[in-house]
Amino acid sequence: MLTCDTYHMPTSLHDALALWAAAPQGSKLISGGTDILPWAREGREGDVHLPALIDVTRIPELGGHVISNGRVRLGARTVYQDFLTQGTLRLALPCMPYCAIWFADDQIREQATLAGNLVNASPVGDGTPAVVALNGEIELARLVDDEIVRRVVPVIDFIEGPGRTQIADDEIATAVILDAANGYGGSFQKVGLRRSLVISVACCAALVRTDRDGRVFEHVRLALGGVGPRPIRLERVEAALRGELVSRRLIKQVSELAADTVASRSRQEYRREVVVNFVRAALEEALENQPDVQVKFQDEGEMANA
Amino acid sequence: MPKLKLEMDVNGKRVSRSTAPHTRLLDFLRDDLNLTGTKEGCGAGECGTCSVFVDGKLVKSCLMPAAKANGAKVETIEGLAIPGDLTPVQKAFHKTGASQCGYCIPGMVMAATSALRENPSAGIEEIKERLGGNICRCTGYTKIFEAVELARDVIAGDLPVTALEEDAVGDSYIGTNVRRLDAPSKVSGRLKYAADMKMYDMLQVQILRSPHAHARIVSIDTSAAEAMEGVECVITAADVPGKDGYGVFVHDQPTLATGKVRYVGEAVAAVAAEDLLTARRAVAAIKVEYEELPGVYFAQDAQKQGAPIIHDYAPDNLVKHIPVRKGDVAAGFAAADLILEDDFSTQQVEHAYLEPEAGIAYVDPDDVVVVISPSQNISHHRHMLAEIIDKPINKVRFIMSPVGGGFGGKEDMIYQGILAICAMKTHRPVQLNFTREESILASAKRHPSKVHYKMGLTNDGRITAIEFSMLSDGGAYGMSSEGVMRKAAILSCGPYEVHNLKVDTTAVYTNNTPSGAFRTFGGMQAQFATESMMDMAAEALGMDPFAIRRVNMMKIGSKTHTQQELKTASLDRCLDAAEQSCRWEAGPPNVRGQVRGDMGGPDTRKPCTLGARFEGTDLEPDGTEKVA
Amino acid sequence: MMDRKLKGRGIAACWYGIARTATIDRAGAWAEIDDGGTGKVVTGVTEIGEGILTVLAQVAAEEMGIRPDDVTIGDNDTARAPEAAHAGATRQTYMIGNSVALASREARNVLFAELADHWAVEVDTLKAFDGELWAVGTNLKITMSEAVAICKARGVVPVGSASFTAHGTGLDPVDGSGAPWQAYVFGTQVAEVEVDTYTGEVQVLGIWAAHDVGRAINPRGVEGQIEGGVVQGLGQALMEDYQTDKGHTTTHGFAKYILPTSLDIPQINCSIVEDPDPLTPLRAKGIGEPSLVPTAPAIMNAIYDAIGVRIKSLPATPEKIMQALRDREAAKQTEVA
Repeated sequence: MLTCDTYHMPTSLHDALALWAAAPQGSKLISGGTDILPWAREGREGDVHLPALIDVTRIPELGGHVISNGRVRLGARTVYQDFLTQGTLRLALPCMPYCAIWFADDQIREQATLAGNLVNASPVGDGTPAVVALNGEIELARLVDDEIVRRVVPVIDFIEGPGRTQIADDEIATAVILDAANGYGGSFQKVGLRRSLVISVACCAALVRTDRDGRVFEHVRLALGGVGPRPIRLERVEAALRGELVSRRLIKQVSELAADTVASRSRQEYRREVVVNFVRAALEEALENQPDVQVKFQDEGEMANA
Repeated sequence: MPKLKLEMDVNGKRVSRSTAPHTRLLDFLRDDLNLTGTKEGCGAGECGTCSVFVDGKLVKSCLMPAAKANGAKVETIEGLAIPGDLTPVQKAFHKTGASQCGYCIPGMVMAATSALRENPSAGIEEIKERLGGNICRCTGYTKIFEAVELARDVIAGDLPVTALEEDAVGDSYIGTNVRRLDAPSKVSGRLKYAADMKMYDMLQVQILRSPHAHARIVSIDTSAAEAMEGVECVITAADVPGKDGYGVFVHDQPTLATGKVRYVGEAVAAVAAEDLLTARRAVAAIKVEYEELPGVYFAQDAQKQGAPIIHDYAPDNLVKHIPVRKGDVAAGFAAADLILEDDFSTQQVEHAYLEPEAGIAYVDPDDVVVVISPSQNISHHRHMLAEIIDKPINKVRFIMSPVGGGFGGKEDMIYQGILAICAMKTHRPVQLNFTREESILASAKRHPSKVHYKMGLTNDGRITAIEFSMLSDGGAYGMSSEGVMRKAAILSCGPYEVHNLKVDTTAVYTNNTPSGAFRTFGGMQAQFATESMMDMAAEALGMDPFAIRRVNMMKIGSKTHTQQELKTASLDRCLDAAEQSCRWEAGPPNVRGQVRGDMGGPDTRKPCTLGARFEGTDLEPDGTEKVA
Repeated sequence: MMDRKLKGRGIAACWYGIARTATIDRAGAWAEIDDGGTGKVVTGVTEIGEGILTVLAQVAAEEMGIRPDDVTIGDNDTARAPEAAHAGATRQTYMIGNSVALASREARNVLFAELADHWAVEVDTLKAFDGELWAVGTNLKITMSEAVAICKARGVVPVGSASFTAHGTGLDPVDGSGAPWQAYVFGTQVAEVEVDTYTGEVQVLGIWAAHDVGRAINPRGVEGQIEGGVVQGLGQALMEDYQTDKGHTTTHGFAKYILPTSLDIPQINCSIVEDPDPLTPLRAKGIGEPSLVPTAPAIMNAIYDAIGVRIKSLPATPEKIMQALRDREAAKQTEVA
């Protein structure tokens, strides 16, 4: 059970930062609420009493999104459902719809914010690898001499471990900034015990773009989640594909490179195997999802007996 | 603490209330506004029973601080239609039989309503996706889907409104699909379950539960709790007036832990206070000194030499052993052409009824102790409670509140005694609502099983002998272990004529969560092993799995494993019906998946690949245009 | 090269006993044909969602000659209702259904006796159904409402009661011999699954369930029980696992204890088989528990058909399946070597 003495709903970033800086020890920021409320329950943290909760979702400047200069700036109030309903976001962030459709359920998607999830830094957070594949950065704001000062941190560095990020005590996350990847093919792989409300054992986000003929890998982004304390960008796999002819054999080969990235302590064997399979499936699906390109596998038909 | 002043539009009415700052929207609706149609099935966003519309979007209100809805337009189940009327979605749920226990139904109706608002022409795959956040434990979802599709078609005008009405009866009411009597009260959210009931002057009860699996209680100091403002009583085993002990078969379970605790989660003390928060804080202030004891955590260790004794009356930790013997198994195996031997195991399973345990107790003006709870056996509970509180049976009254799912999990009287004693001590009505976590922790589970199976058959597939032994972890208390072992033993060798058999089922005490009654009562654990063995035998003998079962099936005149002669038998008809309806392609079960031709028919669903809501639109999930 | 997704089918049969095991079972009921041609039934019935209230309303309505909508069933209250024992053992349709049938029949007989006398006809010529009462071979026909008024005007209240017994015997302590139930049911299920060999995930695409229920009082209700039982069986087969570590649970809530959602369920095709029970007025048996028995083995047998690995320990999680596939590959290599 979560209890508190005061629940603040500031309506400007400056007010929020001032409240946060002045908040008594033990206070917390709350975004969607979908992480903190399940946390304060028996079997996890138990009954939790906080002096203050500061709700950041009524701050107008944290809403909406802007696409410019090849980057998509998502206000911190952006929720997962937006990746399914906002046409411009679907086009600009082609792996996010596939990530979002796997995320919890419709109700929670309306409530859970991407920024809140990133700051919560759960090792099984699905949004994280998708954001990392999009070269995501998180913008953090704080007050210095009563002025709002911002800084931007790459998400892959921001997340230091389970529940640990580089956010400072007086900072509030204000935006998540991602590459605009229009024209890429995106995909997202996830495994779980069921098809909805799934906490994944491992997940993989992919973005791929070939040349216009669909023969050569030009751009590849791959990221894994749930296989270690931090999200992993599969740079070696990406490098092994860049400039190469698209073939199923090559995809299968480079997928094996992902096996060594599995560092998680538990269920390692299973995660390794799944990860290798995921990378393969993610690449093949992302290739297929490319708009306006007919992909031509060099070895189509040959792999039948491999 | 300073209160929060909230104003919102709820079901078309402006409301204005002061409430605690941490109040969730769910609590605000249920407690402050008395709109109890929205339920708390889990409090952690996992079950969907708390779903409501906030500014047109369906959300889970257990995850939403009420402050977030300040100034918003909120719609609950009660607001979908005026009392006495039902929306097409609600009528469709009534028509198709989509509501069983009803506890998930308000949330499910909300999800269905949302799905059709978002996409009035949603196909079945999209409907399933949009209902993916709502768990149902009773219906298997099938008739819920049927209801949503029916509502969709009626709303769209593709079916007439009369499609929602009752079918006309033929010449008998037996064999007719009469709509469920209790469905309207459930689909409208008007039916009150125990947690929804409020009585004037009512106290809230919370239970202190053991953090240890096996420990002696050295002392309990309730003074700090008792001194807290708002606390009306604190009870321990010392407050039980009569002869304590309850249980479905053996009365080995105390109302509150006596002398020692035997499993994590066992009730040790209870508080009745003016409000829930005070009760929880008082529970946290009770100081219990424990002396931890070595425990038993695996069934196979329970009967070993020197194992810790869990109940003094059972020094070998045996709850029950049931033997069944027939014929001569040695001779039977000797006559076999094929002998298979293997091991099977099944896990502890949680009932997961959507309604967590809840109840109210009070003493009425005639000094009758009244307990209102969703108990599956109020007759037996009354009998036991009368002895426990030392009252004549007719001075104890059990009223069954609507049950939000049972499956055997609400047969054990694990909290009603506590409620009764609190009511007797305070002379005020008292209410206890379990959290989901408390329900999982404290209530019984399905018996896990370890089965060792030996089966002998002749080459034509006839079983000549079976040796079956099953060991089950009964956990800390006897509960229904005796009955489960008995049923498992009787049903063990399956619906087959077996002339030689040796069956032993054994349940032992351990310091794990108790195992108790759960739908099939040992029947599924035993037959899981048998039906796996039958297929293994079929493969070894090159027989079709239907064929091998036909060779052995019980018929009229067959003797069962307990040597009862069957006057009727219908396995032949069930095998035939299943075989025909699925268009079974005959053949031995030797991994024919790649070559058989009877799969993927119109009576199967497509595998779920997610993203169904994008089908039927012009755009792919990633927003790009679909190629023709 | 193996396809990523492989399908297979498996079957399982089952049997089950009806009502309390190895003991005598009992249920009592009171019935009254009431003003307006309505009915009142009071019995210790425990509706837990299985639909027993509706079944009883149908049974009472049929015996009384009224409509199920006209039947009011009293609350289950130890101070107000006769004992009908518990919800469990797939017993309520059998025990309480028959008890209510007999009690309602008695009330109807009381009514008929009065009307027969009032009309001066043989009582055997009287029939009542769907709110009307008539004497066969005559023009005499009235509403049940009118019939009750006539009966009461004659100073008789049409009430009835019954206690229904099922005879199970105890089991011999040495060889278990005995007749634990007087009625048995049988069933068969077929499962069709798809296994994802990349992840070990299993999706159940179809279940065909054929169950003997004796007599289906409410076929849609029977289907609802089969569908519910199948999905619980599926949950246990593939994803549910209550775990403890030295007595402490590690599956504390629904985030860890995984239940089937709407996206996990197969198309469920029900075949209702009716092998009437010869010993009882209703000839019905039951379905609540039997529907859950064969599902898990049918699914395991189907997984074997798909990928040649037999899972003998439930649940068949993706990890167990991948492990089993790996073990089988290793075994093949050793064979080849």
